[in-house]
Amino acid sequence: MTEASMELGEFTITRIFKARPEILFECMTTPSHLTHFWGPIGVSTPLDGIIVEPKPGGRFETLMINDQTGDKYPMRGVFVEFDPPRKFSFTEAGVEGGMTTSIVFNDLGDGRTETVTHQTNVPPMMMGPEAREGLESSFVKMDAYLASL
Amino acid sequence: MPADSLTLTFAALADPTRRAILVRLAKSQATVNEIAEPFVMSLQAVSKHLKVLEAAGLISRGRDAQYRPCRFEPAPLEAATDWITRNQQTWTERFDRLEQHLNQLTNENDKEKKE
Repeated sequence: MTEASMELGEFTITRIFKARPEILFECMTTPSHLTHFWGPIGVSTPLDGIIVEPKPGGRFETLMINDQTGDKYPMRGVFVEFDPPRKFSFTEAGVEGGMTTSIVFNDLGDGRTETVTHQTNVPPMMMGPEAREGLESSFVKMDAYLASL
Repeated sequence: MPADSLTLTFAALADPTRRAILVRLAKSQATVNEIAEPFVMSLQAVSKHLKVLEAAGLISRGRDAQYRPCRFEPAPLEAATDWITRNQQTWTERFDRLEQHLNQLTNENDKEKKE
């Protein structure tokens, strides 16, 4: 089950997994696990292209390869927070003017974990109070408006 | 689109007045005076907002020196929506595969326990 909400320049995906936070956190930060699922459908992530330096300031790099075309999509991230099994975040300086992704692992206490993934390409220092207020309004509105054109 | 066009687009869209201006221009092109009419702000303030929208490529201005009507340009908005859709799709598929991976781990553990 995936729940998603979009706002201007960012989005949040909430998802519940049948696994404890420790296992989930390990899966998402260990190359031998990441290689099994990091690439979306039709894209593989070879083990030797994954670098995880598990600490703030450490590298988080992957190389995804399109199974059909052979196109390569490198990701070069740097961990900002690394707090197992509660949260990690990383930035990619080279993407769309700077992208930050954070993943929070909430223990639901019954063997399940809720993950909240938040991704934004707007650097925080660019967002004054006025901009932040604007960001609160839902992107869904903008979508409806686009559809009405 | 260039690397930080999206940042420009999102920054331009982050302001409610600018979004209202875009909604107005999506109906038809208009001059600065016509755009300013419903807003309680100076022509100068409206012009500033128009400059931000123009820099983000969300509007274009006519050549007519006197009136320079503003026109809505939807392309950057579509690019911004695409970006969000694409990234969201990636994460959804990634999590689908993570779920499968977790199931596999559980099955392997169960097998080991039985043996």
